[in-house]
Amino acid sequence: MRSSLTIFRREFAAYFNSPIAYIFIIAFLVLNAGLFMTGFFLNGAADLRGFFGNLPFFLIFFIPAVSMRLWAEDKRLGTFELLMTLPMRTADVMLGKYLAALAFYLVALAGTLTLPIMVGALGNPDGGAIFSGYLGAALLGALYLGIGTFTSGLMRDQISAVILGIMACFLLFVLGIPAVAATIDGWVPGFGSLLQNYLGLSSHYEMMLRGVVGAADLAYFLGLTVVFLVLNALWLEGRKY
Amino acid sequence: MIEVRGLSKSFGTMKALDDVSFRINRGEILGFLGPNGAGKSTTMKIITTFLAPDGGTVTVDGIDVLERPLEVRRRIGYLPENVPLYLDMNIHEYLTFVGRARGLEGARLRERLEWCVEACGLRNEYRKNIGELSKGYKQRTGLAQALIHDPDILILDEPTSGLDPLQILGIRDLIKSLAGHKTIIFSTHILQEVSPVTDRVVIINEGSIIADGTVADLSRGAMGTNRVFVGARAEAGAVETALRALPGVTELKPLRAAEGCRFEARGPFSDDLVGAVERLARERGWQLTELHEAPYSLEDTFIALTRRARGLKEVA
Repeated sequence: MRSSLTIFRREFAAYFNSPIAYIFIIAFLVLNAGLFMTGFFLNGAADLRGFFGNLPFFLIFFIPAVSMRLWAEDKRLGTFELLMTLPMRTADVMLGKYLAALAFYLVALAGTLTLPIMVGALGNPDGGAIFSGYLGAALLGALYLGIGTFTSGLMRDQISAVILGIMACFLLFVLGIPAVAATIDGWVPGFGSLLQNYLGLSSHYEMMLRGVVGAADLAYFLGLTVVFLVLNALWLEGRKY
Repeated sequence: MIEVRGLSKSFGTMKALDDVSFRINRGEILGFLGPNGAGKSTTMKIITTFLAPDGGTVTVDGIDVLERPLEVRRRIGYLPENVPLYLDMNIHEYLTFVGRARGLEGARLRERLEWCVEACGLRNEYRKNIGELSKGYKQRTGLAQALIHDPDILILDEPTSGLDPLQILGIRDLIKSLAGHKTIIFSTHILQEVSPVTDRVVIINEGSIIADGTVADLSRGAMGTNRVFVGARAEAGAVETALRALPGVTELKPLRAAEGCRFEARGPFSDDLVGAVERLARERGWQLTELHEAPYSLEDTFIALTRRARGLKEVA
């Protein structure tokens, strides 16, 4: 755990050592708040459904860009060899890196807290739904980051890592869309719905937007995140052979 | 103590290491020599647990690198060939990071930082971003990183590559100053760098060890004959005939001389060639201008050994 903390501190600082962090955060806030505000007054409803509803698609591009450097950069710099010969387990190094990226995302997400304040001032929103919406957004980011960390570990350069990450996140997103599920059902009856229920993220995420935090939805996000992190550690261990 | 036994490793169809064995005792410095691509880095990566071998074993202080890699890593300071530096950190931040990652903290960490900065000469650029440092400073920062936890064992992959002569001298002195306390393996393809630092060399070529011993022993084995340079103020023809007649001389080559004559004589190491020539000169009344044994350079030895190894491979 102490090892992970050391790695975490370096990685988290690395985000803010470069201008990329600030550009990321500003872009994240401007795009999300902008998209949300364009629809907000038309809808005339004091809630954040519009904001949370955009996130699954928006984060497909944002998150892999945050995680792309995690391993690919170390491989390019040669520091990968340093990390893999430090007296710490691969899983500890990975956890430190992953949590640093997650913390960075949560900082960006925290920047959107002005939205609920504004909505609260303008109307009478459902506090529970906003809370569960943020929980959902955090879990969604955590899952995408798990995928992005994994794809960064597969690749030597960051561009490949980000493209592969976007594709993988997009797959989870698309599988959850009812129309896509229906199409697959047309080819192989039942298969599309099966994928939608177990792998697609929309249904799990939608529940949280409505203010319902179910054990199955939590298990979906956390479980799948852990799967990708374990795959990441196994891949990096397996590289030795 | 490091013991490497029967190591083999392939990358795809390329055989990088083939049955590599050698050992280094505590406190010994070993020069690990070979042309580029011979398998030096691969061997070092296996000893430092970065790679796992396909076959064979490596033990560090009796600990197997595959069974307990973390304990092996704790004992080793490692400078990879591509110096692993975070370009966005300054030297202080970077060394602090590596120190913490190696379990140092508080007063002990500060003490080690101080030592490394002093020993590696990093004082002047201590707060400068590593990305802006010169090649020499980067290399020395990498070396400092390997030394931060005061390891018993140092594995240095091409520690002097890309440095200017003065910097090379500095690194060499640093390695020498660590001699006796630490077990050190350093690799290089530049032969002149070995002799000033250590006697003990292992030579690897195309994935196999082709020599293991002291520089002197190796050249004896590789070259087969001793060579002596003789210069005399006397008639060249007479000297040549007389030298050829000496029982210890198997080969004689006339050389160019400013005055008198000069020869390179070769013979078995077992014969005292210098003594024999000296007696001969006294008998004949020649005035000797030169008489000395010329030890083979590591270069000659190396070329002879790699050539022989290649020949053996072709025969096989």
